[in-house]
Amino acid sequence: MTSIAQQLLRRKPIPRESGDSPLRRTIGLFPLMAIGISATIGTGIFFIMSQAVPLAGPAVVWSFVIAGIVAGLTALCYAELAGAVPVSGSTYSYAFATLGEGTAMVVGACLLLEYAVSAAAVAVGWSQYVNELIGNLFGWHLPAALSNAPEEGGVVNLPAVILVALCAVLLIRGTRESVLTNAIMVCIKIAVLLFFIAVGVTGWNSDHFADFAPYGIGGIAAGAGVIFFSFVGLDAVSTAGEEAKNPRRNLPLAIIGALLVVITLYIGVAVVGIGAQDPKKFENQEAGLSEILTHVIGSSWPGTVLAAGAVISIFSVTLVTIYGQTRILFAMARDGMVPKVFAKVNERTRTPIQNTIIVSTVVAVLAGVIPINFLAEMTSIGTLAAFLVVSVGLIILRVREPELERGFRVPLYPITPILSILGCIWIITQLRPITIAVFAIWVAVFLVFYFFYGRRRSILEPGNELGDPDVPFTAVVRQPSTHDGVER
Amino acid sequence: MSVLVGVDTGRRSESVLALAAQLANSLQTDLVVAAVVASAWPPSRASVDHEWREHHHAAANLVLDHAASVFGGQVKARYLLHEASSARRGLLELAEQEAPDALVLGSSGQGETGRIALGAVSEALLHASPVPVAIAPVGYRAGLDSRIVRLTAGYGGTEAAEDLVLGAATVAARAGGSLRIASFAVRPEAETGILSGAGGRAEDPVLIEWVEQIRRHASAIIDEVEELDPRPRVDDAVIGVGGSWAAAIDDIGWGEGELLVVGSSSLNPIARVFLGSHGVKIVRNSPVPALVVPRAAAWG
Repeated sequence: MTSIAQQLLRRKPIPRESGDSPLRRTIGLFPLMAIGISATIGTGIFFIMSQAVPLAGPAVVWSFVIAGIVAGLTALCYAELAGAVPVSGSTYSYAFATLGEGTAMVVGACLLLEYAVSAAAVAVGWSQYVNELIGNLFGWHLPAALSNAPEEGGVVNLPAVILVALCAVLLIRGTRESVLTNAIMVCIKIAVLLFFIAVGVTGWNSDHFADFAPYGIGGIAAGAGVIFFSFVGLDAVSTAGEEAKNPRRNLPLAIIGALLVVITLYIGVAVVGIGAQDPKKFENQEAGLSEILTHVIGSSWPGTVLAAGAVISIFSVTLVTIYGQTRILFAMARDGMVPKVFAKVNERTRTPIQNTIIVSTVVAVLAGVIPINFLAEMTSIGTLAAFLVVSVGLIILRVREPELERGFRVPLYPITPILSILGCIWIITQLRPITIAVFAIWVAVFLVFYFFYGRRRSILEPGNELGDPDVPFTAVVRQPSTHDGVER
Repeated sequence: MSVLVGVDTGRRSESVLALAAQLANSLQTDLVVAAVVASAWPPSRASVDHEWREHHHAAANLVLDHAASVFGGQVKARYLLHEASSARRGLLELAEQEAPDALVLGSSGQGETGRIALGAVSEALLHASPVPVAIAPVGYRAGLDSRIVRLTAGYGGTEAAEDLVLGAATVAARAGGSLRIASFAVRPEAETGILSGAGGRAEDPVLIEWVEQIRRHASAIIDEVEELDPRPRVDDAVIGVGGSWAAAIDDIGWGEGELLVVGSSSLNPIARVFLGSHGVKIVRNSPVPALVVPRAAAWG
């Protein structure tokens, strides 16, 4: 009989190289940086200002810096963990191979927030820009009942639901965003943000910065909490670690480089936005960047251009995010952590159809009825918690497996992971209590589910696929013994 | 029963004739070689287009003569000259009239040697023919007395695809060849998974799961084939994986005298060929002649 402690701590053996698809190190420094930039930009910046400025005032500029630095530190830790385990996958896979089943479940719970909930948040932001675009082009807006969450006086956010449904159809058909489309989308996003900066700066008014930090350092941190959402995606560079050329040099450079580009753009947008619009006006503004331009110029065309760019590029972000979620659940289902229905593949389309439908339905419901600020905060806390686990895991792994061959080691150990942990905790504590409470309940629910479901169905359970003690535990990470019950 | 060959009146092509003879040998049926020429339009009493018609008929006769000379005395065939408003319509009319086992067409002249290139007529017939359509790759050659050695049935995981395999099995048995079941998957690029944070190989487990499911079903179908009478020799089910459709199809290996059999899209309930998007890609990348079968064809 395996004890619960053993179950929580057992780790998934790393499969031997099958020789079928040897990973080749083909991605150089600049493509890596491009991956980081493209996965990060555009998730939040288009609508996060109206959530963050009311919290932090003009000092939101510092919120961006803080959120960016914490995201950068955690991405570095993530890169080391990813490099230590030659499995390809998300944080969940790394956690399962290094920190054990229990941690992997917690990370899985966080990733559901990082992906499913952020897809919902992004879809809601998309809906705001669609409405703005329709208003500018045709002179009418969707009725408030059909474009707002119930809490904001509507019935359902219809455009957001439609967007999610469209993405689901594309994913079921097997559409994947190609590298070329992605590159085009990134160019559109960057061009739109530069356009905002260039046009918005003409409405500059230094008076808007007079009351720089009305809510003090606490306000700045709270702003960083919400803004962290817009740095989700930086960790994508780490998942490319295995295919990166010279990862020791290129991974940190790519993460830092991407971070610098992203922070510079974000701060440019933030400074110009506040310079152009009284900080008090940000609250409850929809399709914020577009509105600011309309006010600065006094004509609707710049807002229309920006809204069009946002509509196109946010669509691709939603697609990629929902895709990521379905594939993470797929991996979890294959490990026996969630029901097998998530691992069914349709033979004709070669896509996990049931999985995609379930994920999209949940995302659509979230996007339809929950306001964006709550969705953004839930995404932030989920991501922060996942990063926290990664940073802690890095330290544990260094202590437990000092000899382990690592493709990449974080610079300035142990300062980097400790700073990263402290930064995550600090930002988490500044979020609204309701967010923290809901998050705690969510993780608890997930662990209860694990207790009654995944614990016994895990592929590592004796009698299951990999649970046979005779299965050789392969080299890289040593496994806790299932025989003597001694936990290290 | 027969095999109907549509020859292009503008171009003499031996590949289509080679395939037609091979099919007729294997199925032990008659061979009908048809040239479709444009009919007068509008029909007029003054015969103003007499010379125009003469010209077309002469061209068609030239091509039919060429076919007869290629076949020599070796292959028995009937030669038809059919008037219709378009080549596509003419071949459809003949297909209804002759009710052949298969309609054989050549590739368009512009294609790459060894691959199938669909021209306007073959493309249209792939979406409208009531009978199976066979298409020869550019530059296809086979001995006039050769036979089809093996049929490879493309299996796409649907019920219609299952029926197709059973149909192909019957034909393979009749032709004395063997049958193999093949599925194809295109391995996507790593970047999508990386961008979404799901890992560079996020699609690999999906592919593995798919392969397992396909293998299970294919072996179930093979069991069914074993119960047929007469039954063909059955090779193992194969799964071609590659970075592109061409690579995935090349992956399973092809030899001489092979025929790829593809079913029409399961979306179309009508008894006509309607090639789906996967089917078109498979046909275009096939290194051997391809036979596209309408879903409801009582074939074989």
